[in-house]
Amino acid sequence: MPAKKLSQSALALWVRKLIETRRVVAPQAKAEHFAYAPLSQAEDLRLDHDVTILPPRKYLMPPSEVLLRFTRKDGYTSVIEHEPMILFGVHPYDVAAIAQADRYFLHDRPDIHYQTRRRSITIVASDVQNASEDVFAACLGTATVHDGFDVLLTRVGDAYVIESRTPAGDALLALAQDLQEADPVSLGRREQVWEDAQKLLRRQVLKCNPQELPALLDAAREHPVWEKRSQTCFSCGSCVTVCPSCFCFDVEDELDPDLQSGTRRRQWDACLLSGFAVVAGGHNFRKRREERYRHRFYRKAKYLPERFGFMGCVGCGRCVKACTAGIANPVEVYNTLLEGAS
Amino acid sequence: MMQTPASTTAEADADLYLPRPATVRSRTVLTATEMLFELAMDDGKPLGHMPGQFVEVSLPGIGEAPISVSSSPDGRDRFELVVRRAGRVTAAMHDCRMGERVGIRGPFGTHFPVDGVLRGRDVVFIAGGLGLAPLRSAIQYVLNHRKDYGRVTVLYGIKSPVERMFLDELDDWSRRPDMTFMETVDRADATWKGNVGVITRLIPAAEIDPKRSIVVACGPPIMYKFVIVSLYSIDVANEDIYVSLERRMKCGIGKCGHCQIGGLYACLEGPVFHYPVLLGVEEAI
Amino acid sequence: MKKLRMAIFDFACCEGCQLQIVNMEEGLLDLLDIVEPVEWREAISDQSEEYDLAFVEGSITREEDEQRLKDIRQRARILVALGACAVNGGVNRLKNAPDMDEVRRCVYGNSATMPHLATAPTKAVGEVVKVDFEVRGCPMSRREFTYIVRCLAAATTPVVPTYPVCVECKLRETVCRYEFNEVCLGVVTRAGCNAPCPAGGQWCYGCRGLVDDPNVNGAKDIMDKYGKTVADLRSRMELFNSVEARQCQGQ
Repeated sequence: MPAKKLSQSALALWVRKLIETRRVVAPQAKAEHFAYAPLSQAEDLRLDHDVTILPPRKYLMPPSEVLLRFTRKDGYTSVIEHEPMILFGVHPYDVAAIAQADRYFLHDRPDIHYQTRRRSITIVASDVQNASEDVFAACLGTATVHDGFDVLLTRVGDAYVIESRTPAGDALLALAQDLQEADPVSLGRREQVWEDAQKLLRRQVLKCNPQELPALLDAAREHPVWEKRSQTCFSCGSCVTVCPSCFCFDVEDELDPDLQSGTRRRQWDACLLSGFAVVAGGHNFRKRREERYRHRFYRKAKYLPERFGFMGCVGCGRCVKACTAGIANPVEVYNTLLEGAS
Repeated sequence: MMQTPASTTAEADADLYLPRPATVRSRTVLTATEMLFELAMDDGKPLGHMPGQFVEVSLPGIGEAPISVSSSPDGRDRFELVVRRAGRVTAAMHDCRMGERVGIRGPFGTHFPVDGVLRGRDVVFIAGGLGLAPLRSAIQYVLNHRKDYGRVTVLYGIKSPVERMFLDELDDWSRRPDMTFMETVDRADATWKGNVGVITRLIPAAEIDPKRSIVVACGPPIMYKFVIVSLYSIDVANEDIYVSLERRMKCGIGKCGHCQIGGLYACLEGPVFHYPVLLGVEEAI
Repeated sequence: MKKLRMAIFDFACCEGCQLQIVNMEEGLLDLLDIVEPVEWREAISDQSEEYDLAFVEGSITREEDEQRLKDIRQRARILVALGACAVNGGVNRLKNAPDMDEVRRCVYGNSATMPHLATAPTKAVGEVVKVDFEVRGCPMSRREFTYIVRCLAAATTPVVPTYPVCVECKLRETVCRYEFNEVCLGVVTRAGCNAPCPAGGQWCYGCRGLVDDPNVNGAKDIMDKYGKTVADLRSRMELFNSVEARQCQGQ
């Protein structure tokens, strides 16, 4: 469907209409920050958010989700949970991260739990209006996106250019009133927004092409940066808990009150936590903070690119903010390695 | 580095996390901490594993644990697991009686190349402690197809004599004319009349022909470093070594991230690794 | 399945953890399907000679309490320390700092020399008898208590978090207290409470005790970063982690 144009008031009416008919989840204010939450009124929608505390992955793979139910008598049955929803106002770097999660969970043998939730989610992406202070998405090619969403919203002056890419997106647009054809001026302004995003979403500058990182890390295993920066690491896992490109999980059983039945749940896990690589019997294959700290960077910039073809980082900068010790910033780490390499 | 989403239109496979029911057919105490379970899948079909692969054993309300299959697949619809009481699942498994039901996922991972490069070669098995459990599957397989292999040697090292498992089989192996079996204990007790010392002591004495042999090793993490050095000293090449590594294989299917060894997944590229693959992988050995 | 014979005992404490159990309402009825209370001063009048499961609340501050606790241990198949006072001495441990006579005078004034007020340095339950499991926190979490009882009734080992509270704050999307320029102990404190204090706008008091390998040196550096001192950190730790606070040297 060709791009359309919506005035701000028409956008608000459209959102109201969407809320009436669907479950809409969108960025809203939380203290001085923003978080995705179910939207109950259009006024709470904050398309001007800089970044949310957690990425929208909490809806694609909830922090705790039931995989199976069991009873002692009848064994295990799958529980495939899903809830149709519109993820509204998703920034391009998060759209990119969802595409990564798709690749991670759906390649080869698909994970049916992820797949079912994913299929029931419609993504309304939104170009960034305000850059967060730590963002470096432009360095990773995720300041703008051209696929991986159903609808894209771009603010141009007092109006929005809106473009649907899928039948699901078309169905949402069909609920909008006063939808006009996007005029060449608005489309030109949208081009300008995309161009500006390359500068705006570059608050920190990675001094190399991300494709060079695997080779850089190959030679950096003994680099002093790992020991030095990890000295103040609390092994609290905040950096990976807020990461849109982290997918590791743990699985635990929980008994019902009668002890005869229960659920098997999967929970987000974090490779920075001390128990992550402990096997039964107690041996810890990544015992030292330094080893866990280093693993995160290797997983993201070497192992994932080599295995899946994507870098496990979209430059959202959430880890930079979340780390109390101030040591999680990937740009600082990679640039330090580059200094040594040059 | 933007990626397009993978196709979400393909019909989903069955639930990768759903265990299949199996029933405990028999249980045998091996040592103070190890018990042997013989299981059969409730659908009557063989497990379909190869020697060296592992399964995820499920107990409702307790959880899952990765355990290597300890029996050869040869045409049997039953399979055996050695379960060491080490964590919650294995402790609960020890309480499982005959006829009780457990959940099984798998088999998962790579296997010893019993049908590949091992054929026609001398085969040297090096087992440290509980490492005998996965190796037993391959040893049984090789002995069942004895004519397909050259000399067969099994070296077995444990801490103390009370930890010896499969006493009847050890006895059989030591008597068979078509194989060499040597064992050693780190610390002897009053009953022990055999070798005393670490397992690497057996390597020079085993008369291994480095040109003809493939070495297959499985043991605790600390064992590999010493065994590899010892193999180098008798000129065994990296290409002729296979090892089986333990990690926290939580999901078994390369998704949960717990068993990564550098960029490798112990559940996908392992647990059996061709040794050259691990060279330069710092976390491996 | 046979019900576990359960007993609950209290020592020096506010009995707030027991109160959490009494306040479980419907959860309490579920609990009574798997345990049979055989001794529980706050709820029933019965007494028993043996227990499958004994919960001990409070810390040990008198010599006669040590004897009583040892006696409980002998009768109990599984003994669980209930709440911060029992697990690591909790708030009661604060008094161990100055000299004991001073403590008695300060608290009891003219009655300080009365024999029944002969208070001794506070001990955690685990410093007197072997503790099999712990329910941490001040007060303990009902959810965790229920989980642990279910695990024990199903004869398996409960798995409780060993990681810091930060994980739970992040999962709740709680804005970090350090952003409000407060010293929060969440970075070194065991999770499992689901981080209610930071979510309610309060820094973490560390009531669940420190993680196994707390990065105290890291914490000192962080004080610098946020314009705080090690003394600030120590004063926060004093309330529930006074032993560790005293080990935390520096400016």
